[in-house]
Amino acid sequence: MDGVRLQISNLHSGYATPDRGLVPTVDGVDLALNRNEFVSIIGPSGCGKSTLFNVIAGLLSPTSGEVALDGKAIVGRPGHVAYMMQRDLLLPWRTILDNVVLGPELAGKPMEAARNRAAALLRRFGLEGYENSYPSSLSGGMRQRAALLRTILCDRSVVLLDEPFGALDALTRATMHEWLLGIQREFQQTMILITHDPDEAIYLSDRVYVATPRPMRFAGIVPIELPYDRGRDVTMTPQFADHKRQVLALLRGDKGALDALH
Amino acid sequence: MTAQKSRNASLLSHLGDAALPFGIVVALLATWEAAVHLLKIQPFVLPAPTEIFKELLISGPTVILPQLHVTLIETLAGYLAAVIISAILSVLILYSSTFRRGVLPLIVASQTIPIITMAPVLVIWFGYNSLPRIIITAIVAFFPLTIAAVTGLKSLEPQFIDFFRSLNATPAQIFFKLRLPVALPSIFGGLKVAATLAVIGATISEWVGASQGIGYLIAQDTALLNTTRVFASLTVLGVAGMALFGLVGLIERLSMPWIYARPSMAWLRASQNPRAPAAAVARPRQ
Ligand SMILES: Nc1ncnc2c1ncn2[C@@H]1O[C@H](COP(=O)(O)OP(=O)(O)OP(=O)(O)O)[C@@H](O)[C@H]1O
Ligand SMILES: [Mg+2]
Repeated sequence: MDGVRLQISNLHSGYATPDRGLVPTVDGVDLALNRNEFVSIIGPSGCGKSTLFNVIAGLLSPTSGEVALDGKAIVGRPGHVAYMMQRDLLLPWRTILDNVVLGPELAGKPMEAARNRAAALLRRFGLEGYENSYPSSLSGGMRQRAALLRTILCDRSVVLLDEPFGALDALTRATMHEWLLGIQREFQQTMILITHDPDEAIYLSDRVYVATPRPMRFAGIVPIELPYDRGRDVTMTPQFADHKRQVLALLRGDKGALDALH
Repeated sequence: MTAQKSRNASLLSHLGDAALPFGIVVALLATWEAAVHLLKIQPFVLPAPTEIFKELLISGPTVILPQLHVTLIETLAGYLAAVIISAILSVLILYSSTFRRGVLPLIVASQTIPIITMAPVLVIWFGYNSLPRIIITAIVAFFPLTIAAVTGLKSLEPQFIDFFRSLNATPAQIFFKLRLPVALPSIFGGLKVAATLAVIGATISEWVGASQGIGYLIAQDTALLNTTRVFASLTVLGVAGMALFGLVGLIERLSMPWIYARPSMAWLRASQNPRAPAAAVARPRQ
């Protein structure tokens, strides 16, 4: 496939301990991501999802395996993908505008243009009027949107989102889902999302990768057959319920689940 | 209008904050004055506050202030030297494990020496001028400042470093755009402690081998039993120390608007940006 953006092949990772030697956290992960695709990884807490992201982002060197972005190996080399970590990590001493332009700033890009572009996007991210506010005066949802804007302004071909809505209440979260899907379509982003929430994964994704407990492998991949333009009501359709049954069965470790449903 | 009202309210509460210590001082001075008169205490033992005040008016401008001028220059020079030394040391301690293991213990050990006893030796080495006193002031002030700076520079959560690394940040960017702002509250804490210590260091260093300065004046007056002028000098010194402390505090507030966004400053920002909704006015959540 010529559309492949990110290719992960047979990835293994682990951490060294004094008493038990190398403890594996990622145990043979394969993943292929096409241009403008949105996929989710869902799995139990502590299974190694953030570890996988750290490897993709080049922060952590894997034990073995390959990560290729647009055909070039990026293992152990940070700066190639945009990474929104589990916490928003907004810098408290910077205003919202100064926070969201951090990517271009660290890359030494012309700041005038970066700031203008960011300022023009604030409204779309629900942050209009807050450009000169500090993060401490923002609500949880606004902080996440600011962190996401900062991530998107890094201008990388793949965006990693580690549980961006984990700390939000259910109502805010549902609103954010629709909004994020709109952003992904509008800005033509290629995204991988980590989540604990099956509804979130299914509603947003083209494909859901279901992870096993640590060490992490994929118990199965659920292709989501919902329309490209989906509103909130698709969550009520039988199709959605089917997908949810598949994901939950895989999460429970029910091996025949996928075949039984097809 | 509401902004005006809340600013008045905060002004009132600030006056309320000042009223309590002011009241305590007035009560203490009144008790002191009464005790001196009732118990007929000799002025060379304990002068009455009114006497001290009179002395301030008489010898303040002509005798005390010129000496304070000398001491303040030593204080500021020593303080500045301490700031520069601390900046270099804290970066070395942060980035060099050799330095951390080899030199840091020696610096800590040096702090157990009462440095003031070195004053005569420093005079022999550096001569009969203000250099020995500037050195003592710097030695007294740099240590808490260095410790505060190192603590602040190390207090960064590792996730922030990972985040910066994921953006391919250089070590210099991580230092100046991440570590330094995180360390600022701690550094300013150190700068305030160092400011008070610098005043003390400069004054006490004038007790030995000096021919001018407010510390020298106090030593002379003590020997002559001119206790009233000693208290007058101490009063001037106290005010100068508080002013220096206040100046550092002011710089602190101006350099960290994300912590000290005063209502008046937020109001200023909001008026610069007419579209900013009221909730956008930055006030740190406690
Ligand atoms: N250097 C390390 N030392 C000790 N334990 C580690 C280390 N690195 C990872 N782990 C462990 O590996 C496991 C996987 O961690 P990881 O953060 O990837 O999980 P996760 O799937 O993201 O979990 P969550 O959903 O709770 O965020 C955890 O149990 C963690 O404690
Ligand atoms: Mg995680």
